[in-house]
Amino acid sequence: MESPKIAVQVDDLTVAYNYKPVLWDIDLQIPEGVLMAIVGPNGAGKSTLIKSILGIIDPIAGSVAIYDKPYEKQRKLVAYVPQKGSVDWDFPTTALDVVMMGTYGKLGWIKRPGKKEKKAALEALEKVGMLSFKGRQISQLSGGQQQRVFLARALVQDAAIYFMDEPFQGVDATTEIAIINILKELRKANKTVIVVHHDLQTVPEYFDWVTFLNVKKIATGPVKDIFNDDNLTKTYGINYKVAVNQ
Amino acid sequence: MGAQLEIQLIAAVVAIACAIPGVFLVLRKMSLISDAISHSILPGIVIGFLITHDLNSPLLILLATITGVITVVLVEAIQKTGLVKEDTAIGLVFPALFSIGVILIAKNANDVHLDVDAVLLGELAFAPFDRLLIAGADVGPKSLWVMGSILLVAIGLLFAFFKELKVSTFDAGLSSALGFSPVVMHYGLMSISSVTVVGAFDAVGAVLVVALMIAPAASAYLLTSDLKKMLVLSVIFGVSSAVAGYWMAHILDASISGSMTTILGLVFLMVYLFAPSKGIIAVMYRQRQQRTEVSLLTFLLHLNNHTEESERHINHLNEHINWQRVRSRTVLELAQKNNMISIADNIVTLTKKGKEFTELALEYIVTNKDEKIEPMKDDFFLFRG
Repeated sequence: MESPKIAVQVDDLTVAYNYKPVLWDIDLQIPEGVLMAIVGPNGAGKSTLIKSILGIIDPIAGSVAIYDKPYEKQRKLVAYVPQKGSVDWDFPTTALDVVMMGTYGKLGWIKRPGKKEKKAALEALEKVGMLSFKGRQISQLSGGQQQRVFLARALVQDAAIYFMDEPFQGVDATTEIAIINILKELRKANKTVIVVHHDLQTVPEYFDWVTFLNVKKIATGPVKDIFNDDNLTKTYGINYKVAVNQ
Repeated sequence: MGAQLEIQLIAAVVAIACAIPGVFLVLRKMSLISDAISHSILPGIVIGFLITHDLNSPLLILLATITGVITVVLVEAIQKTGLVKEDTAIGLVFPALFSIGVILIAKNANDVHLDVDAVLLGELAFAPFDRLLIAGADVGPKSLWVMGSILLVAIGLLFAFFKELKVSTFDAGLSSALGFSPVVMHYGLMSISSVTVVGAFDAVGAVLVVALMIAPAASAYLLTSDLKKMLVLSVIFGVSSAVAGYWMAHILDASISGSMTTILGLVFLMVYLFAPSKGIIAVMYRQRQQRTEVSLLTFLLHLNNHTEESERHINHLNEHINWQRVRSRTVLELAQKNNMISIADNIVTLTKKGKEFTELALEYIVTNKDEKIEPMKDDFFLFRG
């Protein structure tokens, strides 16, 4: 059997804030078509890992490849959902307009989005069940609805690899199910989905691949093989059961 | 063209040129930076003036713009050390640069026609005296040409990079991931703001230029939830305040820049008070309504929980729910108006509609799912989040 292609390859990645390392010598191979959770305690560098793969943060050492090429050359293959709290939801714009932003990358500089982009954005809104909210100002949406808009914005990017930073944070149960169903659909279409995730209890149910991270990489691989007490203890310390029960 | 008309035209052009970058500064929560830039460009202006002896020379504008960008770089460098916060960094940088400018003016005061008063307040009334001559022909006031050119560049850039400005302002992370460097957009915006401040300060001074950038954008922000409309409204507020300020100064025989700033402040005050959804009166009204609606819900729940008539007797409601008489009446009227209750023999009973409403509301409060209460959002503030 042919081994699957490597979608994301991270080599010796080290990131520091004010000379204090937050990620230390990370090596990571993410095969194509997995739905992967990145788990670890607060301050483990989960968001930082995503951001440095996407070139938002400059690492002090190491390299990243998306399908064997640097990220700068592969931007169009990648979609990104930042943490919901990282933007100002009072910004004067509508749900549809936020989703349209997902089309900007393929348009490039200066070129404006047109009918084709609008149609794609409306389709993405429909997929996340938010079509009837297209004209609503984003501050008038609930937390779960805002997260769906962010997801629609990533869908409209029509990428091969999706990075999502805590998409389940602060959403209601219906939205969580809606989001995970969409993620599973993406995996079925052989897309690679990488999710920073907090709720350890749902890892085996939602994901088929997992990376344990705590400044260093503890383990990475299929959930069924490596999601065990040993790795949880290494990642969270002896109190991981408290973390699970939270 | 008469001097009066020329002054108003300059004022209007300055107002538009300031309003455009102002919108993005307000949205990026960087209003204070415009204050810093407007002061710290002074050394650039003085040095430029000492070299060229012309306040409208391109070299002077270039030098002052560079000083403006240096201000931003310094503020960020100090902030990055993590020892002080951004506002402190701003408070450290701009007085230092401004004071260098003040000393330079004082040292060269004898042979330079530039004084601190003019820098702070500007003098629009004199702007028409400085003419631009092309091949000996008078083509109008120099500052109109300077500001007009800056405005054209700013509008051109706005149209070209509108989507990039929008995405980098709203979501810097996504912008960076998509390949629109937020750093480039940031310094682009800072450069345009600096050029605008430099061009405008000669006419309106370092203080008013801040008002022209921030007040129209802040007013527009309270009135619209659409970025394009916010830009248009800012321009309208800026221009109308500038022209109204000119006439106020004319009538009162007062400073033009002072009058304009006053009008800008008044416009903001009006919007702050009366804006339909974000204004202070609307907010207070909404909060009062929400209080009443919470009371209504409490009342309906009480009715829903109690089948016994003693609990639903109109005279007992005050005691049972422990309300003042006025509120009881408001709540009772609201419930009746919405056909949620019926009153017979002073016994209050939930109608079918009232029962449905109570159950849906209860479900929403327990589950926090809001699909089913969508239609209720139009009538009740409580459910709009």
